Amino acid sequence: MTHRHKTRNFCIIAHIDHGKSTLADRLIQTCGGIDEREFRDQLLDSMDIERERGITIKSNTFTLPYTASDGEEYTLNLIDTPGHVDFSHEVRRSLMSCEGALLLVDASQGVEAQTVANLYLALEYDLEMIPVINKIDLPSADVERAREEIDDDLGLDPFGAVLCSAKTGEGVQDVLEAIVERLPAPTGDSEAPLQALIFDAQYDAYRGVVMLCRVKDGTLRKGQEILLMHTQKTYEVEEVGLLKLEREEQDELAAGDVGYVIAGVKSVRDITIGDTITGKKRPAPDPLPGYRPAKPVVFSSVYPMGTDEYEDLTKALEKLALNDAALTYEKDSSAALGFGFRCGFLGLLHLEVVQERLEREYDLSLLLSAPTVSYRVQLKDGEEMHVENPALYPDPSEIETTFEPFISAAIWMPERYIGPVMELVRERRGVDTNLRYLTQSRVELTSKMPLAEVIFDFYDRLKSVTQGYGSFDYELLDERETHIVKVDILVNGEPVDALSQLCHDSVARPRAMRYCEKLAETIPRQQFKIAIQGAIGGKIIARTTINAFRKDVTAKCYGGDITRKRKLLEKQREGKRRMKVVGAVEIPQSAFVAVLKSDVGNK
Amino acid sequence: MSAAAGTPDERPGLYVHVPFCSAICPYCDFAVRVGGEPARRRYAEALRLEIDRLIGTSSPAADEALDNLRTEIRAPLRRLIAPRTRGPETAAARSSTPDDARFSTLYLGGGTPSILDVDTLAGLVEHLRIRLPLADDLEIFLEANPEDLAGADGARRLDAWRALGVGFLSLGVQSLDDDELRFLGRRHTGAEARAAVERALEADFATVSVDLIYGLPDQPATETDWSRRLDDALALGSHHLSLYELEIHERTVFGKLARRGELIPAPEPRRAALFRHTHRRLLDAGWDVYEVSNFARTPAHRSRHNQKYWRHIPYLGLGPSAHSYAATDGVAVRWWNERSTPRWQRLLESDASPIQDAEVLTPADLVLETLMLGLRTPAGVDLSRLRVRTGVDLLRVAAPALEQATSDGLARLDGDHLLPTLDGMAVADALAAELTEAEGI
Repeated sequence: MTHRHKTRNFCIIAHIDHGKSTLADRLIQTCGGIDEREFRDQLLDSMDIERERGITIKSNTFTLPYTASDGEEYTLNLIDTPGHVDFSHEVRRSLMSCEGALLLVDASQGVEAQTVANLYLALEYDLEMIPVINKIDLPSADVERAREEIDDDLGLDPFGAVLCSAKTGEGVQDVLEAIVERLPAPTGDSEAPLQALIFDAQYDAYRGVVMLCRVKDGTLRKGQEILLMHTQKTYEVEEVGLLKLEREEQDELAAGDVGYVIAGVKSVRDITIGDTITGKKRPAPDPLPGYRPAKPVVFSSVYPMGTDEYEDLTKALEKLALNDAALTYEKDSSAALGFGFRCGFLGLLHLEVVQERLEREYDLSLLLSAPTVSYRVQLKDGEEMHVENPALYPDPSEIETTFEPFISAAIWMPERYIGPVMELVRERRGVDTNLRYLTQSRVELTSKMPLAEVIFDFYDRLKSVTQGYGSFDYELLDERETHIVKVDILVNGEPVDALSQLCHDSVARPRAMRYCEKLAETIPRQQFKIAIQGAIGGKIIARTTINAFRKDVTAKCYGGDITRKRKLLEKQREGKRRMKVVGAVEIPQSAFVAVLKSDVGNK
Repeated sequence: MSAAAGTPDERPGLYVHVPFCSAICPYCDFAVRVGGEPARRRYAEALRLEIDRLIGTSSPAADEALDNLRTEIRAPLRRLIAPRTRGPETAAARSSTPDDARFSTLYLGGGTPSILDVDTLAGLVEHLRIRLPLADDLEIFLEANPEDLAGADGARRLDAWRALGVGFLSLGVQSLDDDELRFLGRRHTGAEARAAVERALEADFATVSVDLIYGLPDQPATETDWSRRLDDALALGSHHLSLYELEIHERTVFGKLARRGELIPAPEPRRAALFRHTHRRLLDAGWDVYEVSNFARTPAHRSRHNQKYWRHIPYLGLGPSAHSYAATDGVAVRWWNERSTPRWQRLLESDASPIQDAEVLTPADLVLETLMLGLRTPAGVDLSRLRVRTGVDLLRVAAPALEQATSDGLARLDGDHLLPTLDGMAVADALAAELTEAEGI
């Protein structure tokens, strides 16, 4: 396509619930990109989990034809962005595919944390911003206040803000006009050697992998031989086209275009998101920046609740991995919980999304072990290993040095939360902590922190100490020497393998105490006293006891009570058969759930 | 009472459920309802129908009704109502029923049977006497509320009950403390309860029993407080005490309050302490402790009827929600009536069976029940009788669990008898489940 100057590539940046999906839908509808009948509410967020939680995980892209007031027809490429820190790589890649962004602000709620966090990401990529004040139809809308906050908190020109209501459609035309007028057309040379950024991929059961890309330079055509610069794999292009409601085949994708490429790629694992497509015959000298392999950094063992569900879990993971290149899994087993898989995730949200999809789409009930990171362990005999499973952690006497992954964390917050956030970061072993004032009232805190400290309920705590105003992003930095211990949880003296965990020695005691207390709350009283202990090696660091119960007999048992009572006892006995017996103590599955959920349930 | 204490009564029992109450107590989980005189008359009519239907007169229709019953119930029911022979003349059948197979107890429970008009009650009992093989020494048990014993009406009732042959009068006192009575939703005061007990004792029933509830959410926790209340209860002079721990059932008002967190049940350690204290106190007073919640001044005052439930002696239940149990040729069956009074009535009025469901008890069911019930009583479980009835030799298949129970001080073995200790009785449910966990049961 030659009308590059009539193309606009943009995304929408917004806080959860500020109406991103509604605005996207409205833009799509207004441009007539979609037949009314086929129109689904909130089309962009197609996954159930995304809809329910109001977040976008997988990015989608739409090409919208728009006839502007100048009478010209424009091609608007709306690139959806995921809205969570675990997927910040994906956000970055989406942003890299745009020239501009709509920054959505709720007229009644004003600027919020996430808006700011994403704004900074967007500014990093030099995007042109259009502030949009949405939900002006609400009785509680306060446009003037929203303008002030755009000025004060975001440092953007408040008078350039477009007013609209995505719900009623009011002002949507103005938004489209602003996109055309104020966002720059893409630059790039269609004759130069091909450089196209893969920012997303989908799996199609019939066609294989469908790569979504932004062509920076050069042209992509059917039949062309392409080279993926990072993986160094070559393919022949079978089809290129635009992403409308359905894929619409085109002859070519030229510099500035956003579209899809099908090239006989069998699995999403064969490609990497962020890779650069170039021509095999005339390759570009360098790949585009922004490539980072989607490497799992958080690990957890996933067990089916019912032993008969193991086969189903295997199949479900296989299917899920077809569309999720970042998910890794291998067989694992636990004495307490049976067979399962050790899985690797991009972060905690990724873990949760996978868990929810397994439970919802594949109807499985699962137990997940405490999430952990990957430790590099140098042994005294000179060998080196990566350990992300507590069961495989070597004996301390054999260990020379252990290294743990560190991140560079950035936290944005209003000034008034500096104190508690500093405290939280210090508690989580943050070092080299720096503060920077973004505006008079907004602060950016940067710190180098162990990744392990962030995957353990950090996001929750941050939200709580900043009353929701703190936002957070991180990237992996390096590995640093550390003191890791393996904490075992013992029930009447016997370790429960599924509850063992690796953690820094400074947090071992409180962590162990928490597990002990949770277990004490959930293991039903039995006829004897139960000791629950946390231990490092042979050393006990935490303990609680569950006192024996001394009365359970029902007060009345006459003619009409006997059958019901017997059935109740049978049921209890059946329940006991499913309990895991550790140290002669029957531990119900609910106890594992309660303990492990307190780690993972990080919403 | 002719059955000497100590020689267990093996004859079947008869239970009649009278669902009516003047108000529904917030803790009560039984099939109860509030109904006026017309509802009660309709109920009594339905009960007659049930007796006629199940028991059968000589009419072919009744026979057919019996044959239309679920097959598993037919034989055991026939055995219960007309053992050995069953001729066209039920009167003949009745007279031909040997003494040891006739109903020796009739329990009128509820609900509040004392609410029934005395003539209605007498009519029902008379109907039962005509239709069913009742023993000559039949003992009649009646549950009564204290307020029904008050005033001139109360005096007339007491006379009528005595005349009817009521030997065991069970009074729903529940507490002697006015605050507690209000909390429990009772309609009498402590003083009225005392007066009722006094009147009952004066009326010269063979056994007067008093029901009390303990372990209320904010009942004084200290044992001395409960001790004083127990002393008061003992001082009432009744022959029998049923001391029940308050249980919160889901479908009750208390259940709802508990779910909303507005009622917090007494914690388990306190309930356990109160339970032990109750038993020790009654033993100290020289009483016969014969079940988890039941105490008699002497063994002769035990509830002969209730003991049948704990020993798998056959019983026939009539009225809404009533359960029956019988065994023939090694097949044990339990069945039960519709719980809802209107539904039970409608079924009977439309010539249908009021039975809601039945179950054939497998040997494994019987073993669990025998333990669950037997361990509620200091008399424990006769393991040789269990072996004969079910073919399960617990001494062999559950040896490790039995050993554990004895070493934990929950039970001891005396020959073929498994006897729970007080601690064992307190955890009878868990103990029964544990002892029957073994393979081969």
